Amino acid sequence: MDTTAKPQYDDGVVKYLTVGATVFLVIGTLVGTFAAAQLAWPVLNFDIAEITFARLRVIHTNTVIFAFGGMTLMATAFYTVQRTNGVRLWSNGLAWWTAILFTIGLLATVTSIGLGITTGKEYHEQEWPIAIAIALVWTLYTFNFILTIASRNKETHSHVYVSNWFFMGMMIAITYLYVINGLAIPVSLFQSYPLFGGVQGAMIQWWWGHNAVGFFLTAGFLAIMYYFVPKQAQRPIYSYRLSVIHFWALMFGYVWLGAHHLQYTALPDWTGSLGAVISLAMIIPSWGGALNGMLTLSGAWDRLRTDYILRFLIMSLAFYAMSTFEGPVMAAKSVNALSHYTDWTIGHVHSGALGWVAMVSIGAIYHMVMKLWKTEMYSMQLINIHFWLATIGTVFYIVAMWVSGIMQGLMWRAYDEYGTLAYTFAESVSAMHPYYVMRTFGGFIFFLGAVVMLYNIVMTIRTAEARSANKVESLA
Amino acid sequence: MSMLEQYFSTDWASMTTHDWAGLIVTVLVFFGMLITFYLALRPSKRKELEEQKYKILNDD
Ligand code: HEM
Repeated sequence: MDTTAKPQYDDGVVKYLTVGATVFLVIGTLVGTFAAAQLAWPVLNFDIAEITFARLRVIHTNTVIFAFGGMTLMATAFYTVQRTNGVRLWSNGLAWWTAILFTIGLLATVTSIGLGITTGKEYHEQEWPIAIAIALVWTLYTFNFILTIASRNKETHSHVYVSNWFFMGMMIAITYLYVINGLAIPVSLFQSYPLFGGVQGAMIQWWWGHNAVGFFLTAGFLAIMYYFVPKQAQRPIYSYRLSVIHFWALMFGYVWLGAHHLQYTALPDWTGSLGAVISLAMIIPSWGGALNGMLTLSGAWDRLRTDYILRFLIMSLAFYAMSTFEGPVMAAKSVNALSHYTDWTIGHVHSGALGWVAMVSIGAIYHMVMKLWKTEMYSMQLINIHFWLATIGTVFYIVAMWVSGIMQGLMWRAYDEYGTLAYTFAESVSAMHPYYVMRTFGGFIFFLGAVVMLYNIVMTIRTAEARSANKVESLA
Repeated sequence: MSMLEQYFSTDWASMTTHDWAGLIVTVLVFFGMLITFYLALRPSKRKELEEQKYKILNDD
């Protein structure tokens, strides 16, 4: 028996989810770009209810966060849990069921939103039948992941690698947050009333809302970072102990931040202050984590010149550091008084979403495609082009929103010498026009990058067999 | 009362069950963090923890 043989893994479902994530990145950024264009040129709403900005915006958020982000999380979790624990999935069949049902749930979500069926709760728009189905599928995913870890050989793999902790933390937190925020009394098949009302309703909503960012879009993607950065760099993570601290600080800290979304509202004042203080404290573990990832390259920075996939991963950490500094600053009450309700928030969201979440996912997806289909990418040059399109697109987007957001905030609070408002709301809207055009342009460039990626991946898969046959021939 | 005293003064008698629950959880979490930091950062644990980071480099 060949004892040096590498274990076989269940990669079919990972392949499906990896390609699915890329397709949803293209669709989600296309819808985002169109929604951005609608804000710049309202005529693009065409008076068709299903594609007005109000609905497309929510279709966009659900497609990018849950479809692109969710499929990336499922693909990477199933990929890494097997490799870090040296076992196959606990149940490959269950993983396939999870992936297929999740896809159906996503399509049902997007269709129902297009038809105007919504709970009106941000990032939790699914009405109760779809919400229950999604929660069940998510539980299957969590269950399979945890049992895979439990089934490892405890002699050869006594320690569970840190990326698994981040994945598990994310799965457990998202389950209870999503379920509690979704508690509602159904009155018909497509309508329900939330269990929590008034100020409690707002607090529960943002407890979930911010943790959708903190756990889904941060902890899950940090799991990706802790596996794929060392693998792509072929160097161990800079400090394992720092990763342990990073994990626990995020788990303990993130759940307190939600109240910073509700400064100056009916919430007791101390709640907002607590949210702000803990938000500021989160800079420390977040920067510790970002540095941990970046310093993995210390002594090998020259790799960035030639390895375009590594560039995506390291650039994503720069954006992670930037947005985890910006967020806490915006949580402070005096800054929030200016930034809240303005485009600055949208700029902040997308420096995290495009710069951090999308870029770290893109890096991981390229890495997985090569490993899964056992080949080089069809074109490395196209990855380089993608990198620049993604980076330039992101910068255009966030700069436009910073300028527009700060201008909006200042216009809304400007008084004339008689103490009356200096500008009407409509004047502030028309002042935004150039920045909305600029954001649409940035978004379009980012979207083009996603198309280039999809093309490159499809070509890699289609030519994988032929190229590996050629390689064998030339070696023979 | 100075500004600082005023800021930190608490009317303990008016604390509700929810307030107490919140306070206790906050204090427990704080100590939980301290214990975790101690466990992860003590020098005797260094070798054992840092060894883990090399393992994934050859997993496929
Ligand atoms: C081509 C790329 C993208 C474009 C053009 C775009 C565009 C937009 C637009 C126009 C909005 C609505 C803004 C408003 O209401 O004023 C929005 C909201 C949002 N987008 Fe994107 N987006 C893109 C990519 C992404 C990605 C990749 C993610 C996540 C991974 C994301 C996450 C979000 C979120 C969470 C919101 C809601 C923000 C809030 O409510 O504060 N977007 N996006």
